[in-house]
Amino acid sequence: MNDKSTQAAGATLLDERAGDAALEAPNYDNDFDAIIVGAGLAGSAAALTMAQRGLEPLLIERGKYPGAKNVFGGVLYTPTIRELTDLDSAPFERYIGEKRFSMLSHDDETAVSLKPGDWHREPHNDSYTVFRGDFDEWFAEQAVEAGATLVTETTVTDLVREGGGIVGVQTDRPDGEIRAPYVVLAEGGNSLVSEGADLKAREDRTNIAVAAKEVLEFPENDEAIEDRFRLVGDAGVSYHYFGEGAVGEAYGGGFIYTNDDTVSVGVAYSLDDAATKRQSPEETLNLFKSHPAVAPLLKDARTVEYSAKTIPEGGAETMPDLVHDGAVIVGDAAGLVLNNGVHLEGTNMAVESGYYAGDTIAKAAENGKTGASALQSYPERLENSYVVQNLERYAWLTERVEEDRDLLFEQLPRAIADASTEYFRMDRSPKATHAKAAKQRIFETLGGWKGATKLALRYRKLVR
Amino acid sequence: MKWTIVVGVKQVPDADEVGIDPDTGRLDRANAPAVMNPPDRDALEAALSIKDEVDARVVAMTMGPPMATPVLEEAVAMGCDDAVLITDRAFAGSDTWPTSLTLARAAEYLGADIVMAGEETTDSSTGQVPPGIAAHNGWAQLTYVEDVEARPEANQLIATRDVEGGYERVAADLPVVVAVAYGEFEPRPAPLHRKLYAENDFEPMQLTAEDLGIKDEVGLDVSPTSVGGMETVQPVERKSEVIDSADDLADQIQEVML
Repeated sequence: MNDKSTQAAGATLLDERAGDAALEAPNYDNDFDAIIVGAGLAGSAAALTMAQRGLEPLLIERGKYPGAKNVFGGVLYTPTIRELTDLDSAPFERYIGEKRFSMLSHDDETAVSLKPGDWHREPHNDSYTVFRGDFDEWFAEQAVEAGATLVTETTVTDLVREGGGIVGVQTDRPDGEIRAPYVVLAEGGNSLVSEGADLKAREDRTNIAVAAKEVLEFPENDEAIEDRFRLVGDAGVSYHYFGEGAVGEAYGGGFIYTNDDTVSVGVAYSLDDAATKRQSPEETLNLFKSHPAVAPLLKDARTVEYSAKTIPEGGAETMPDLVHDGAVIVGDAAGLVLNNGVHLEGTNMAVESGYYAGDTIAKAAENGKTGASALQSYPERLENSYVVQNLERYAWLTERVEEDRDLLFEQLPRAIADASTEYFRMDRSPKATHAKAAKQRIFETLGGWKGATKLALRYRKLVR
Repeated sequence: MKWTIVVGVKQVPDADEVGIDPDTGRLDRANAPAVMNPPDRDALEAALSIKDEVDARVVAMTMGPPMATPVLEEAVAMGCDDAVLITDRAFAGSDTWPTSLTLARAAEYLGADIVMAGEETTDSSTGQVPPGIAAHNGWAQLTYVEDVEARPEANQLIATRDVEGGYERVAADLPVVVAVAYGEFEPRPAPLHRKLYAENDFEPMQLTAEDLGIKDEVGLDVSPTSVGGMETVQPVERKSEVIDSADDLADQIQEVML
């Protein structure tokens, strides 16, 4: 045996420190005021709000860092985040200076472009392209700086119940159970914990969209993005595409968003169509990318990233109960996504719901109350906010568009393209003949004046 | 008698994230996040597996700036009983000679019976430090160890070592330095509450060059390594030829094969 007595002065130091009970068997049960499952935008918004109110929440994230597992199209709307924290250091790519809506038939394009001058001025209509890997990490950092604790590479697998109430979560780590008075489920669209704990029904595939997205760079052309999308400075675009040229026979659309030196290109369409029409996300995306109106924008681009996700699109009707004894559901897990074609929103609603949940829990904690009734003001406030109001406003639309999909996405785009071809035709007939032929082509598709009026009535609420 | 197992861990750039600057051909390490040297995770697992069997405490040590503390936290999260940050401006520029001297003195200071470390680090790959620790202290060494078996009654450690054509089992009297073969031990996941403790509340013990009595024996000046030069290897140009017909291709292949 080696003689330690002379040399090992440090051994005595180790002996002294070894008495520390925390070091021997640390235990954090009910040490944190709340546990938040998922450090995405909803989760970090809840954590930041609670921390700002003096609480100590624990954010549990399964990825290596917040944002590592998150996918979205690419445009983040920031009105609420701006209220919660200083955006000066936020990792934005570009602000949205142009929105363009485009109808694609097999080989035609008919588009409307919007470029309000106001969007070029601060705060740029609170619309920015971001990468979730950068932005979510930054946003979670804001929560940690405010006093939240973040633990990564830890997956919540189940909820812990006692006496009917939710008192904590179970994770995939050894000694993996941890308790806290409140649990916020911000686990995203694929909400396995909420479903597994029977807080929410499994979604029907007709209420789910599947999305595939590529991030592309232009290795041989540094000016490609500025030139092709006509951009100056930090301005960027969001291009939206509909019709058979965008997603084939499926119900959905395509998009192109400009980042700093890459573009995000993707398609999103009904999971039901992906299943029944045998249309794979990869094929659909490739078809969209090769459309004659899209391909020139992406010429000589190289794919740097490929991602896919599911989007809950059931709207207000499929929202689960947001409050349970000891827990609330926020963000995508609560189905808070608006996609009506014109508006594509989810992350802003995630932040909004996280904020209301965090604020509600802070108030409940202040009054020393737990249980479902103490948290009831969260769904009430959410219902009075733009989040649920918007979801309800457009609840009718998805259903109606679904009924009219052939007309709207196939027949009408073709008719409009044909009509424009007619209207602007250069030959030796008078313009009146062309105009008549163009009108004729549209009316055939719509079913005359009567059909056109009916269609207008069916969608009048869109502009109400 | 309780054994003290000291495990050397090092912070290195994440090899998965190290890029090559296409213009200069140099490794771009600055942008890679810092992680624990992967072979050291195996060493931690080997040490903790000994503790599973015998009365022991496992202490992680690293030599580096305070920025390196996260690797100690990770070690404590995995199950180490304590961790030591050996940090001093005097260490700057140390090569493997003063580094192994420092770690040898720290192991002695901590009363180590066993020192364990990964066989090498992924950022310099010399493999010199574990044998260096043994040499400085005059202790036994076991290198490229794939399996360990504690014999507390004999105050010995038995190691299975990878050798050509098979393996050998070697018993060493303590104190002993063990270099663990990479990939032979599956590092255990950190328990949740330990991970929370290590990352948020744990403070490592700190040691300076003076604490170890080696103030004038470390740093760049006493490092014998000198870099003779660096060379970037240019890729070899490959000959390529387009052959239009299968017959021609077959002829070509035949020609090459003969």
